Amino acid sequence: MKSGEGEPSVGQVMVFRSKDFLKWADGVMEGILKKSPIGGGIDFLTKDFFNWATRNSIYPLHFGIMCCALEMAVASAPRFDAQRFGVIYRSTPRQCDVLLVTGPVTKKFQPGVRRLYDQMPGPKWVIAMGECAISGGPFYDSYSVVPGVDQFIPVDIYIPGCPARPEALIDGFIKLQKLIKDNKRGLLTGK
Amino acid sequence: MGPQHPMTHGLWNLRIKVDGETIVDAEPEMGYLHRGIEKLCENRTYTQIIPLADRLCYGSSLTWSHLYCLTVEDLMGLEVPERAEYIRVAAIEMQRIASHLMWLAAYAADLGTLAGFIYTMRDREVFIDLLQALSGSRLTYNFPRIGGVAHDVPPNFERDSLRACTYMEKKLDEYDQLFEGSKVFMMRNEGVGILKKELAMNLGVTGPPLRASGVNYDLRKDQPYSVYPELDFQAISMPDADCYARYKVRMDEMRESCKIIRQAVQKMPKGKWRIVAPRNGPVGTGIGRVEDPRGEGMMYVVGNGTPKPYRLKIRSPIFVTVSAAKQMLVGYKVADVVAIMGGLDMCIGEADR
Amino acid sequence: MMEQRGSGTPAGAIEKAPSKVGEMSEERVIRALLDAFPTAVTDYKKLKAGVLRARIERRELYRCCQFLRERLGFEHVSMISAVEYDDRFEIVYHITCYGSCLLLELITQTPKDDPSVDSVSSVWGGANWQERESFDLMGIKFNNHPKLERILLPSDYLYHPLRKDFKG
Repeated sequence: MKSGEGEPSVGQVMVFRSKDFLKWADGVMEGILKKSPIGGGIDFLTKDFFNWATRNSIYPLHFGIMCCALEMAVASAPRFDAQRFGVIYRSTPRQCDVLLVTGPVTKKFQPGVRRLYDQMPGPKWVIAMGECAISGGPFYDSYSVVPGVDQFIPVDIYIPGCPARPEALIDGFIKLQKLIKDNKRGLLTGK
Repeated sequence: MGPQHPMTHGLWNLRIKVDGETIVDAEPEMGYLHRGIEKLCENRTYTQIIPLADRLCYGSSLTWSHLYCLTVEDLMGLEVPERAEYIRVAAIEMQRIASHLMWLAAYAADLGTLAGFIYTMRDREVFIDLLQALSGSRLTYNFPRIGGVAHDVPPNFERDSLRACTYMEKKLDEYDQLFEGSKVFMMRNEGVGILKKELAMNLGVTGPPLRASGVNYDLRKDQPYSVYPELDFQAISMPDADCYARYKVRMDEMRESCKIIRQAVQKMPKGKWRIVAPRNGPVGTGIGRVEDPRGEGMMYVVGNGTPKPYRLKIRSPIFVTVSAAKQMLVGYKVADVVAIMGGLDMCIGEADR
Repeated sequence: MMEQRGSGTPAGAIEKAPSKVGEMSEERVIRALLDAFPTAVTDYKKLKAGVLRARIERRELYRCCQFLRERLGFEHVSMISAVEYDDRFEIVYHITCYGSCLLLELITQTPKDDPSVDSVSSVWGGANWQERESFDLMGIKFNNHPKLERILLPSDYLYHPLRKDFKG
């Protein structure tokens, strides 16, 4: 046990640490941008531009579970070429804004998927690809499969198929782009 | 590393202990995709299991449904029409090429040859199209039936298959130039992940990794099933036992597969392609063994006279091969993990079942 | 008494590690097994070309597997499966010989209240994970196994799902 865990020691009181700086900066930004009309004004000006950028650069997580993962790979390969729509796979959840669930989520892996979802920065969307992710699919009565990924994370787009074809995946991405366009929101005020 | 890691190609976890950069201990952790298929099979009828068997391995689903049908035919004592056998063999070999190309695409992308990914995925579509014409689906075919296949070959199947084989053989030479000409690819492959012959045999490693260790054991040759004895091909083996040997074995296997497809579609006799199978399985046991693209696939079925199997046990090649990961990894650097584990062609769907 | 008989097998009758195809036939394997374990091997049968079945008592399993590997050259254990019947568990070992391409189906039984056999993972390294899987899904205990833990299911799981009394 370190001393002074309950009450701050003298050193801790006197030092202005980076954590404190972040707290101060957050407070200032909150006050100036989010609460006051300045933020609303900036949002009004930049909303359309940011929304256009967001919907045309969808970065899904490179994360394959089962059959649909192969179709996900094929969709980015030459024949279907999902990169035409700005879909580029990233390897770490910190750089992504779409979580593609491509197969059944087992009870052993359920906390892992939840953690991946929590690690992604907002705004974020979830696509459930294939029957297994939607409802458990052929494994609906298994003892170790969660019947549907929407039981523990919110899902925006459902793509049916077992496995879903690459065309269906591209269609799903286009539907997601429409969804993003329809729910236009400012980055600062969230309106 | 894992379960979500660009190296893994599926859900599994590799725990490695390092001393500086050198690996001193490794322990793979499986089970993130365990769906309990063996238990599900006990609640399905014999016919309903074929689509489940398809979903065992997403890379080569046709081999697994074929293996399941072989096993149940062994249990029921059915004799499959010869035309069906030839259709099956042609389809399996197309599946083998597609599976190896999928592996090559992933492997190339892992080892920094992204052009390899683009080329192999492009050429995989040729065989996927053929299988789609045959069965109507892109990935999980549900094509073999107990006692034959679902339907006859489409028109012009022979012409298209021969064309695809000629195209593929030309492309394989191109790949050899692409990969072996790449210094990075060769440096990351040669002399890495050596698994000695005796160790490989003892650890139960099968398939291309075993043949790359110098054991020339191919079930298609050594314990032939279907119509393989009537076809002329070779089992490939290499003595080097490193990652490059595994790559080479798979490339040569694709060439052999082209040869087999060519013979199978030309020799295909006329006649029936399916016989009626009984609804209830008899009391007894049946086994089936095939050479999966990843190793020795095997099923053991126990029937009790009802329409549902009493017990179905599935032997997954990757499940056993991965247990040898420790022996392959220890002594190499952390950067070699991608090459060594990628060279095994992991398919978690069948390993976890 | 059994041990003396087992170790006193006339090794000269069986070639060590036969390597050529066809050198060892199904009959010779059965004869060698019967010579070595006359009381433990209870039932044997040739199922089809290249496939044999033999039943062995549980207490002799480990020594029989050692014998198979070292004397008869069965170097690869293909599959270990556990089957539950109404009155017993059966553990089925499918063992392959690379040299002669024979497949031996070795069956051993355990009573329902004591599902345990000796581990063969020191004979064949490939048996290690398959035994862990049988323990995980069926609850068979393998004595002297180096690491008998759950492998497919989470480590805090309570049941053995492949047993017939397990309900969802």
